[in-house]
Amino acid sequence: MTTELAANGKPFVHNHGAHCETAVTSALFRYQGLDISEPMIFGIGSGIFFGYLPSVKLVHLQVTAFRNRPGTVFRKAAQRLGANLVIKTYRDPQKGMNELRQVLKAGHIVGLATNLYWLPYVSERHRHNFGGHNIIALREIEGGFRISDPTFGDPVDCSAEGLERARFVPGPMNPRGFMYYTKSINPHPDLRRACIKGMKNSCGLMLRIPLPIFGVRGMRFLAKRIVKSEVKLGFQEACRHLAGTVRWVEETGTGGAGFRYMYAAFMQEASELFGSEDLARLSRDMTTIGDTWREFSVMSARIIKQRNRPEATFANAGGLILKCADLEEAFFKNLQKAVKKLKA
Amino acid sequence: MDFEDEIFSDGLPKVYYKHDDQGRYVLETDAPWAEKVTCALIIAGNRANLEEIRKAVLAGQKSPLCYYMELRQMDPVMLAKAAGIATFRVKRHLRPEIFAKLKPSVLDRYSKALRIPLEELKTVPNR
Repeated sequence: MTTELAANGKPFVHNHGAHCETAVTSALFRYQGLDISEPMIFGIGSGIFFGYLPSVKLVHLQVTAFRNRPGTVFRKAAQRLGANLVIKTYRDPQKGMNELRQVLKAGHIVGLATNLYWLPYVSERHRHNFGGHNIIALREIEGGFRISDPTFGDPVDCSAEGLERARFVPGPMNPRGFMYYTKSINPHPDLRRACIKGMKNSCGLMLRIPLPIFGVRGMRFLAKRIVKSEVKLGFQEACRHLAGTVRWVEETGTGGAGFRYMYAAFMQEASELFGSEDLARLSRDMTTIGDTWREFSVMSARIIKQRNRPEATFANAGGLILKCADLEEAFFKNLQKAVKKLKA
Repeated sequence: MDFEDEIFSDGLPKVYYKHDDQGRYVLETDAPWAEKVTCALIIAGNRANLEEIRKAVLAGQKSPLCYYMELRQMDPVMLAKAAGIATFRVKRHLRPEIFAKLKPSVLDRYSKALRIPLEELKTVPNR
C-alpha cells in the first residue's frame, strides 16, 4: 500500500490487487469515498464464468476464460452500485491522449484499457499481446504519467509515448484508447441488492447458456479434449496445450485457481453482509472448488515436468476438471436456492 | 538458477488469494508452483520459436516479416487487420523472395502495424 496524489492534490492509495479490472474498479470507487473490496466488485459484477474457446488463439494457444468478457465486470458493478461512469473510446490517438490530460487536470483518476505487450514497465513474463489490461492514470508528470497498475505492487512512471502506444495498437488487440472514470458515485449503495443481482446473474451464466463451450458444460467439453489430447496430438503438443490451459487458470491475474478463490472471498464477505450461514457454507464449497482447480494445475505441471508420478496422467487431469464441473454445478444450484432466501 | 525462478525474479510479483489459519482470505505474493512451471514452459517455447524463425530468415527460408510478426505475438490474421492488407497477401509476404520485392508503401504499412522502423524491418538481428 502506498499513497500518491492526484493532480488536484487528493490522496490516492495504491492497493496491490489480484486482477486488473476488478482492482481498478475498486480503486475508482475507493477514491470517491466508497470503500469496496476487489472480491465484492467481482461478485457484484458477476465476473465468475467459464468459457472454452478452441478456435480463438492468443500467441498460438487456445483461450479458456474463467471470467466474463473484459469490460463487463466494471460496467455491471457500476450499474448495480448506482455509479455514473464516463466511458470513452477514440479513433485518434492524439485526441485520446489530450482528453486524458484534461480529465486528469480536473482532478479525476482515470481507468484505461491498455495492451499489456506495449506497457514499458512490464517484464518478459507479463508481456502478452492482450488488449484488455486495465490500469489507472493518476496524474501527468514530466514527459509522461504516473500510473497505478494494481497488478503490480507500486505505482510507476510511464512515458507519454509508451502509454499512447499501449492505448492505441492497430489490429484486433486494439484497446482504442478505452478510458473510463466516475463522474459520481452513490456513497451509500444498496450493497445487498447489488450482491443478489450479481449472484443471480452468475448462476445463469454458469448453468443456463445453451452452448457446449460455456459454463459447466464447457468444463466437461474441455475435460474430454484434455483426456484425448495425448493420443490425438502427441505428448509434446498435448503438454503445450495443457500448459496453455493452466496459464489461464493461474497466470493471467486470476488471484489463483481461475478466480475461484476470489469468488470464495466474495462469498465470505457476502455471508457477513447478510449474516447468512448458507453463504458461509457456500464460501467453503467454493474454496474446495478452487482447491480442485489448483490440484489440476499441479497435476498438469507434474505431467509437463515429467515427474513420473503414476497418477499424473492426461486422463486424471481431465478427470479433475470433470470433478470441478460437478462441484460447480452443485455450487451454483445451491447458490440459486440460497439467493432466493436472502432479503435485500 | 532454475529457469522458472529466473523469470519470476523480475521484482514484479502478483498477489494471490489464500486461506489463512482462521479460514479468512488474505493476499500473498508467493506464485503457485504450477504457474511457475507453465509460465517457464510457455516462455521457453516462445523464445525457442522466435529463435527458430530467426535462423530460418537468415537461411533464406522465411521473410523478416515472419520474425517480426512472431515477435509482436501476432498471427497472419491479426497482422492483416492491423496493416490493412488482405490475409492471403500477408501470407504471401512471409516468403522471402516475395517480401524482397515489396513496394515501400506496403512495407510502410507493416512498419506502422508492427511498430518496427522501416530499415529494421528488412533484416533480422544477427546475434
